[in-house]
Amino acid sequence: MEVIFRIKRFDGTRQYWGEYPVPAEKGMTVLEGLYFIKEKYDGSLAFRASCRMAICGSCAIKINGKPMLACETQILHLNTTKINIEPLDNFKVIKDLITEFEGFFSKHEAVKPYLIRKDDNYQEPVELVQTPEELYAYYDYTLCIKCGACYSVCPAAATREDYLGPAAMAAAYRFNTDSRDEGSAERFAVVCTDKGVWRCHFAAECSEVCPKGVEPAKAVQKLRFKSAIYALKRIFSGR
Amino acid sequence: MADRFIPALQIRHGGVKMEKTEKALHTKRVLEPAGWILQLLTGLLLAILVTFHFYEIHFASHNAMEFDKVVERLSDTGYKVMYALLLLSVSFHAFNGLRAIAFDTEFGLRNSRTINAITALIILGAFFYGLSLLVMF
Amino acid sequence: MHLREFFQEGDSMNWLKWFEIRGKSLFSIAFSLHRLTGVVLAFYLIMHLSYLTSLRFGQEVYESFIATTVTPTFLVFDILLVLAGVYHGVNGLRLILHEFGFAYEIRKPLLYFTYVVTLIVWLIASYQLYRYVMGV
Repeated sequence: MEVIFRIKRFDGTRQYWGEYPVPAEKGMTVLEGLYFIKEKYDGSLAFRASCRMAICGSCAIKINGKPMLACETQILHLNTTKINIEPLDNFKVIKDLITEFEGFFSKHEAVKPYLIRKDDNYQEPVELVQTPEELYAYYDYTLCIKCGACYSVCPAAATREDYLGPAAMAAAYRFNTDSRDEGSAERFAVVCTDKGVWRCHFAAECSEVCPKGVEPAKAVQKLRFKSAIYALKRIFSGR
Repeated sequence: MADRFIPALQIRHGGVKMEKTEKALHTKRVLEPAGWILQLLTGLLLAILVTFHFYEIHFASHNAMEFDKVVERLSDTGYKVMYALLLLSVSFHAFNGLRAIAFDTEFGLRNSRTINAITALIILGAFFYGLSLLVMF
Repeated sequence: MHLREFFQEGDSMNWLKWFEIRGKSLFSIAFSLHRLTGVVLAFYLIMHLSYLTSLRFGQEVYESFIATTVTPTFLVFDILLVLAGVYHGVNGLRLILHEFGFAYEIRKPLLYFTYVVTLIVWLIASYQLYRYVMGV
């Protein structure tokens, strides 16, 4: 069945729409359609892709107005003969479907997404024991592949450039909830700010579009509550 | 086509704006959660008080909006207290809400201190103005 | 010009993105409406305080205000205002619950419940307003 891919193109100066007919078959993904267009019609079409199996997070794009991973979206499952493909919102577009991710990654970096321990000693390493229950407390939030879909639909991220975003804050919550971690205070210092949890108003669209079921909206609300407790403790301790 | 500008400072320092003093940081970190908690508490309070206010004006009797009845209510101490509480809650909730909206923008980020000051003034101004009407009766 | 292209013109129109609902779920729509009704109600608060100022000037001034605003023409605005108020309140209660970290798992039924309660309470309140203004 022929499906028209209507792609928002951008060459650095000019923005325009390109229409490309793709002979879609059962099982063919949108990513395969993009490769087909690149091979048969226009080699200048630019998009990011790598693993083809929804684990690297490279190929998140807007398909008919909703952000999805191109590699796991089957063309015929969209039930339409015309597909609108655009780059993710809230990111600066470099070319066609490729957007700037530097800011997104630096926000993730800012929440210190690694285990922080006082007894960090490479000479005498200690086994960090964790029960299955302790793992389940944060496991869902480890599934994030940093695709940027959540950030692209967030209304707070749309209007404030420095807003940390759902992905970064889900990562902060993931590490704060990890029983092996001792760096919560350092992370609260970053997220308990006006560019952190207090910018979230529970539009909850992030959880709706997350391709891995991470539920970032839940992470942010739980992080928010814990941040408030942290802030109150600081008020009363006078620090 | 306008550029979507990502300040270089934020990229180099991992997205965390470097603060000048610990005190400024403390105030900033305390003001926001306090604002949020009060926003939710006043929201809860308003859900009750506004419902009561609406019920009283439009359901409890047929002539609640007549001048005499209004003055009668405003002269009663119990009502005065209720109205003062309603006024304080709604002043805080409305103008803090607008403040939160402003802080969702780049404009808000650049002018945070001014917006905080103006919001505080407007909240107090609205409350004391309403109070001045209440004490007349 | 398409609405999206309009955004590219600079920060000043960015706030329109809060009300962009295409491709978004009911959760985002709920947020957009909450923000819109909040601004409308804040504006109404200021008007209401000004309205109450008329009490300061005595019975005649107050009653002339009533005569202007408690009329069938204003009834339409009043009913819309009540819709805004009821929606903001009921949705606000939902947000309070979720922002404290509760009931996230049942957020979808809770959202539908919010809309149903809003509709019912609004209809009851509007009917009462209608009865009062129309003298029924």
